[in-house]
This record gives sequence, C-alpha cells and structure tokens, in this order.
Amino acid sequence: MRVLTTFALALVCAGSLAGQSEGIFPFDYRLVELDNGFKAYLIKAGAPGQIAYVSIVRTGSRDEVEAGKSGFAHFFEHMMFRGTDKYPNYDLITSQMGASRNAFTGNDLTVYYLVASSEYLEQIVDLESDRFRNLNYDEPGFRTEAGAILGEYMQGALSPGRWLDERVRSLAYDRHTYGHTTIGYEADVRAMPEGYDYSLSFYRRFYRPENVVLVLSGDFDYDEAEQLIRQHYDAWEAGYVPPNITAEPRQRGTRRQTVRYPGRTLPVLSINYKAPAWSDTNKMAVATEVLGEVAFGPNSAIYRKLVIDEQRVQYLGAGFGLARDPALVSISTMVVNPDDVEAVEREIQDAVEQARETLVDERMLNDTKSAMKYGFLMGLETAQNVGFAMISYVINTGGIEAVDEYYRTLDSITPEDIREAARTYLIDSSKTVVLMVQEGGE
Amino acid sequence: MKRLTLISACLAAMVACGGPKDTITLEEPDSPFIAFNIWVKAGSQDDPAGKEGLAALTAALLSDGSTTHDSYEQILEKLYPMAAGYGYNVDKEMTVFRGRIHEDNLESYYELFRNALLSPAFKQEDFDRVKSQTMNYLERSRRFSRDEELSKELLFNVAYAATPYEHPEEGYVESVRSITLDDVREFYDTYYTANNVVAGVGGGIPAGFAQEVRADFDQLPIGDVTAPVAPNPSMPEGFKVLIVEKQTDASAISLGFPISLVRGDPDFFALMAANSWFGEHRNSFSHIYQVIREARGMNYGDYSYIEAYPRGYTTQVPPTNVARRHHLFEIWIRPISLTEPGNLHDRTLFATRAALRELKALVDNGMPADTVEATKQFLRNYTVNWGSTITRRLAYAMDDEFYGYPGAGYLNAMRPGIEALTAEDVNAAISRHLQYDNMYIVFVTADAEGMKQKLLSGVATPITYAGEKSAAHMAEDELIASFPIPVQEEDITIIGINEVFERR
Repeated sequence: MRVLTTFALALVCAGSLAGQSEGIFPFDYRLVELDNGFKAYLIKAGAPGQIAYVSIVRTGSRDEVEAGKSGFAHFFEHMMFRGTDKYPNYDLITSQMGASRNAFTGNDLTVYYLVASSEYLEQIVDLESDRFRNLNYDEPGFRTEAGAILGEYMQGALSPGRWLDERVRSLAYDRHTYGHTTIGYEADVRAMPEGYDYSLSFYRRFYRPENVVLVLSGDFDYDEAEQLIRQHYDAWEAGYVPPNITAEPRQRGTRRQTVRYPGRTLPVLSINYKAPAWSDTNKMAVATEVLGEVAFGPNSAIYRKLVIDEQRVQYLGAGFGLARDPALVSISTMVVNPDDVEAVEREIQDAVEQARETLVDERMLNDTKSAMKYGFLMGLETAQNVGFAMISYVINTGGIEAVDEYYRTLDSITPEDIREAARTYLIDSSKTVVLMVQEGGE
Repeated sequence: MKRLTLISACLAAMVACGGPKDTITLEEPDSPFIAFNIWVKAGSQDDPAGKEGLAALTAALLSDGSTTHDSYEQILEKLYPMAAGYGYNVDKEMTVFRGRIHEDNLESYYELFRNALLSPAFKQEDFDRVKSQTMNYLERSRRFSRDEELSKELLFNVAYAATPYEHPEEGYVESVRSITLDDVREFYDTYYTANNVVAGVGGGIPAGFAQEVRADFDQLPIGDVTAPVAPNPSMPEGFKVLIVEKQTDASAISLGFPISLVRGDPDFFALMAANSWFGEHRNSFSHIYQVIREARGMNYGDYSYIEAYPRGYTTQVPPTNVARRHHLFEIWIRPISLTEPGNLHDRTLFATRAALRELKALVDNGMPADTVEATKQFLRNYTVNWGSTITRRLAYAMDDEFYGYPGAGYLNAMRPGIEALTAEDVNAAISRHLQYDNMYIVFVTADAEGMKQKLLSGVATPITYAGEKSAAHMAEDELIASFPIPVQEEDITIIGINEVFERR
C-alpha cells in the first residue's frame, strides 16, 4: 500500500488576491492514495463538530453509451440507497445519525454526500465504503424505484429550461452522449423497470476504486480519518471499465431549428458553440470560460444594452463552463417582443464578431478574473460547500490539485488569449441555434 | 499552514451576542465573510386591495434598480469584481434584503447595499424592467413551469381566503398590471422608516460596524404603521376541493388545514417531532415518503409541514424569513404520473388516499414511545444542518425577533426542546392540533371534470405495479384504494389554468 501525504503550499497573502503564485486554495489538506487507485482528499474546513463526506463517481450520463439506456446513471444513483447485506436499511441508519444526505447526477458525475456530526465519522466510512463495494438489491425493489424516477422525470418535464435543453442537445450532437440529458429520454425512463441486469453491469463497470474519489471536509483528525479510510477501502477490488464514448465529429455548418413549447413562454433563443474540454493548464480552455463572462456576462456591453437599457429581453445568460469532454457553450435569452427575435439574434452575432475582432479592455478582464476568484472563495463557507467546490476539479482531473493551477492559468490570460478563443470556438460552422416559441403563438 | 482553518467560537459567539431590538449582531470573528439581513416590517399582507404584489415589486425595484449615487449599470459593474450581489425576499409579513461579502470587499460592498435601500432613485426605466419581468412570471412561468409549487400556492390561497394572507406574494396578473411607480414610492415612504426596520449583521464584523449600519438606517424618517390583524381562518367544514384543469400527464397535489401554533408555543417541538416522523421535508425519514414513494414508487417524494415552506423543491433546509403569525398543516405529494393511458386519476386519488389514511392513523393511534425516541434521535442531529451558514444563522436570529423568541433563540432551543419531549407530549400535541375530517385539497390535473366525477363517485382507485408485491402489500393497497374522501359536489371547484391567479 502506498499512502501519500501532501500538505498544501504556504500562506496566501492575507486579505489579498494579489500574487496568486502560492495558490488560491485557503485550506490545508491531506491526500490518501491507495494501491487500488482510490483517492481521498481530507480537508479541514467549516464549523466545529461537523463533517461532509462527499463521494464523487466520475461517471454520469456521459457514460450511457448503449442505445435505450439514457438516464441510467441517474437511476443507478437511486439504487445506491437500497442497502447492503450488512446495512439493509440505509435510510434508517443515516436517520439515526440525523445526517443530511442525498445524491445527484450530471453529465460527468454522480455524487453522494452526507453531512453529519463528526462523532459519526467511523460509522460513515464503514457505511459508505460498504455500499460502494457490496450494494445488494433485488429486482422487485429495482422496479419500484423505477416508478420514483418516472415521477422525478414528470415533475420537471415541462419546465421550459429542461424542455429546451433536450432539443438543443439532440440537434447539436451527432454521436457523443452529451446529446441526451441526464434524466434521459421519456421512453427510456418508462422502460427502466426492465433494466435490472443492465444495472448490475453498470455497478460492476463503474463503481470501482479507480473511478471514485472521496472528499472529506470538516472537523476531524487527519490520522484517524486516514486510518479508517485505509481500513475500509483498501480491499475494494479494482476493475474499472472505461466506457467507449464516441468522440463528436467536427460540425460542418450552422444548425438551426424552431421548436414549439406546449405551455406558455416568450420566445427563448439558444445559441450554442462547440467548445474544448475543461483544462486547468490549457490557456485556450480557460480563456473560453473567461470569454463567456466578458462578452455575455452581467457586466458585458450586450447585457447592458439588451437587458437594462433597451429592455428587449427578459434575461441574457452565458453558459460557458466547460466539461470533461468537449461540450457546448451557450448564450440564451428570452425576447420580450416575438417580432424582435431576429434583431436580437443579430445583436448577439455582432457581439460574437466583436469578440473575434477586438481586444477586451484590461480593466474588464481584471474585473472578470477577480469575479471568478471571489466567486470561488465566497463558496467556501461550510464543510459541505468546501466539498462541493472540489467536485468539478475531481471530475475533470481526478483530484483537487488542479484548483491552484487553474487560478494560476486564469491569472496569465491576456486580452489576446480571449480574442484567440473567440476566433477558435465562436465560429459559424460549429454553431447550433434553437428558437423555442409557444405552441400556437401568444 | 494556510490562513484558514476551522471557523471557531461561532456558536459561543452566537449565544453571547444580542443587542437592542432594532439591531441584531452575530459576531463570528474568525469568519472571512460578513452577512447582512435588513428586515422591513412589511409584507404582502400590507398590499392595498387591488394592488396585490406591491410589497414584492417595491423590494424588487430597490434590489434591482438604480440609486441616487449610481445607475443600475454602475452598480452591477461595481459588484461584478467582488462576485457579490444582494437580493430580497418578500413573504406575507416580512420583507428582507440579504447579502454576503468577503471581508476584502466589505467597504465598497456595504456602500452599494446601503444605497440600494436608503437612496433608491425610483427610475421609470428600472421600474418598467422589473415590472415586465414580474408580469412574465405571473402570466407564464407561474402557471406553466412547476405545477407542484402552483398547487401549494393555491392551497394557501383557498385556506386564507378573505384574510390578508390570501393572495400570493407576487400578486395577481391584473393587480400587478395596475401598479405604478407612484404606488411603489408611496409604499416605500410608508413602510421603509427608521422605526420599521431591523438591521442584522453577522460574521467577521469589524469593531463598531454594526453601530455604523444602524446609524445609517436611522437616517430614514420616523413612520407610523400598524400591522394588519393576524389572520385566524376557520377550519373548513368537511373537504373543500379545488381542481385546476391543465393538459398534463402528471397531477400535483397539496392538502392541508389551518393550525393555531407558531414557533415558541409550548406544543411547538412536540408537533415538530410528530410532523418530522410523518413527513420530514425531502428526507426518507418521512413516513408518507416511505408509504407512497419507497414502498410503491408512485412519485419522487411526499412530505408534510407545520410552518410555511415555499419553494421547497429548491432546498433541503427550511426557508428563513418566512415567519408568520399563522400557519397551515400541509401535505405535499409530489407529482403523480400516469403509467399507462387513462390511469392518471386513479393513481392521483390513490396517493391522496394513502396520505389521508396515514394521517388518520397518526391522529387515531398517536406515536408509540419507540418511534418518538427514534424521531428525537433523528432531529437532535438533523436540525444542526439548519444553521450551517452565517446567512442562515443571522436569518434565524431575525425570525426570533419576529416571534419574540426568548433566550438564545430558536436554533439553539431546538436540541434541548426536542431532548425534553416525551411520547405523552407528542401525542397530546397531535390530538390538540391535527385532525382528518376537515381539509382543503388542491389538484392540478388533466380532465378536471373526469376527476371530479371519480372523486364524487367514491369508487375504489387501485393501482398496478411493474413488479410483484407481497400479499400483505396488496391487502393494504386494497384498503388504501377505497379509503373514503367524503366530499360534496358543491364543495368541488374547477378552474382553468389560465384563470389561476389572474385576479382576486
């Protein structure tokens, strides 16, 4: 067994974000790494007497490569609460601890967490490692849970955001699994009760130590926590089988569609481009994230014009967060007057062209860097929030070391980098435009 | 060592702190964050008739508008590098403005926050923008994006008919349409006065800062407002049903009745324990969750409440600053979907019957001592999560001021209050406050007339399963499927989705 112990770098300059060379991450942590590939990050943060135990599986709807199995990563998340031979009633045990616990699934991740009093650490390590290693559920229980998933699907099915997201993805992607949403297609959700055997293979392939990272944050003793983790996770057998995900072929030409929402809505315009994968070191990737803020964020020229001054749109949003594989970045807006949709789209196109042609103002860039850093720091208030702030780094890189590196790269971004990112990624041949209008008109 | 470690001494500081009633401070010296909570003693209950939604629109304009110092654009530009903002929440009785900032940026942030509340510019273009966003919500999003929240709002609407709590905080389509900028100015002048504002500050506050904040708010003129009389709605006689007709494959269900119990009452923790066992919010500890979701897979979750819990789908911890002088007992059954064409109403009624049957069992049989002990054990630790951030701890302290909560406050009183409970206490509270003969029920579903006829017929509404179930399970299902919902035709109202909250 190999156990690495890392103490993070020295002091952040007190009260200042200048001089990031020593790292933005303000807490000490210890990394415990086992021979089977399992990693645990132990971070002391938050309030006394509480811990957050966040198990991050680097599998999400991205891994649903088989036809008819969309939504399965999320379904499997539900099954993880169905108990083991040792702890047949997960709910009962965690209720006795009064733990706050839940889970969520996304494109690239499935995350399980408990927030509880520190006194339960030993029991939680046992309980959580046990369900990752020895989950046991029968087919009737599996079929019952499928009904809850259908309910979850239906309660948000007509939310305009999700409805539109489904359509954007299916138009934009030809091959990659980002083409379906995490909740899955309705037909696949309705067929879930028949998928018992598939669920077992899902567990065998993906719930393996090489594919799961634990972030324990809060109030605990390093040595005690490390010893417990070694004791309970060391015998977990390696055997992760990476999914065979087809890369998305290069898009050749703008795609465009108008879709009719079966409820009431003002027109929503969603403009999307194919972006690079997330990276902590690739300047073009980080510059793309900054570009979204600079060109379309709440402090951008177009936001001021369309939302505040002219009030031609109800909102304008930029989704430029990158993912583990190359995914879409998007600009979306709700247009007040249906006759104004074309003109609003032209305004957005002008802003895109401006980003490709001109250099961003230095002050705007510095303000954006500051906003991104304080956005990160402001999120580090509780043990749970500290654990959650680590999720994207773990998903994209397998660890949290990238936090400091990411913000160092951010510091180095220049106006030229932003322009280069716009020239590389905001191109017409990789654009997908979906306009959602109300069925039957206003 | 890095500079941050555990935020220590915060709990002790919380207990030790306090202050005059117009200022609440929660000092946590090790925290790098400072939180603000400015409570204006005005809510939707103060909306003038025909101008329902005015309190909310006023707060929205202050939060999202220009000040006499900065245009709204300049405010956004200044807030941007701090990654900070401020927001508002308007409930029946309270308006609060909340914000949180990193200590590095306190000074420049506070200036903007203070100006937003004390020096609003009341610009017409800001008003038009904020009103247009509100109208869009009222005419479209509220009716079409989340039926489960709509059914909850409608439950409060029918239960509080003819009281100041009747209308939704955001108002009706017609009433908001009629609100002018002058209405907003007048509301501000009336309610945003020095003696009607409580200032809350928490976290790593510099010395003397809380006093500075108070002095700023004391610059407001002195006013004279009286809160409306607290609502005291009567219990419905029997079952009163509202069915909203909407094209959908899933039904939203809310049911409940008025209770006379608020935080601080002697029975409060006892009823909180009973409710926690029966329906703890978004927790599988909830008994009705176990019956409807876990054993039967009918939906995503099933919970109950003894205090208002708006937008429960967004949070796992109780909302703060929705303190009220009156509450409902409320059951929330999350959307029930059809599993094959034609079975939506059977499934909707089955789930409703299951919840009512469990409520009857709770009222008739009470809770056995071991269940009470298990609930105490659960709540003892679970409630610790409710005060996890300085924003929340401060908000609870503001609510304590609303309720006149004694001592170290509600958050600190919960644990000992729960520890001290006996099964007798819990069962006495159940029999004093809960019942199952009188109930408001709201359904949002397709084919409302068909639903009404099925409900009136009293016919059994069994469900089927994708998998095998035990004989005992099926026997219980038979009892649930025919559990009576005694309702008269004149007590069922049907409205179309486009009429919902159009006008009073």
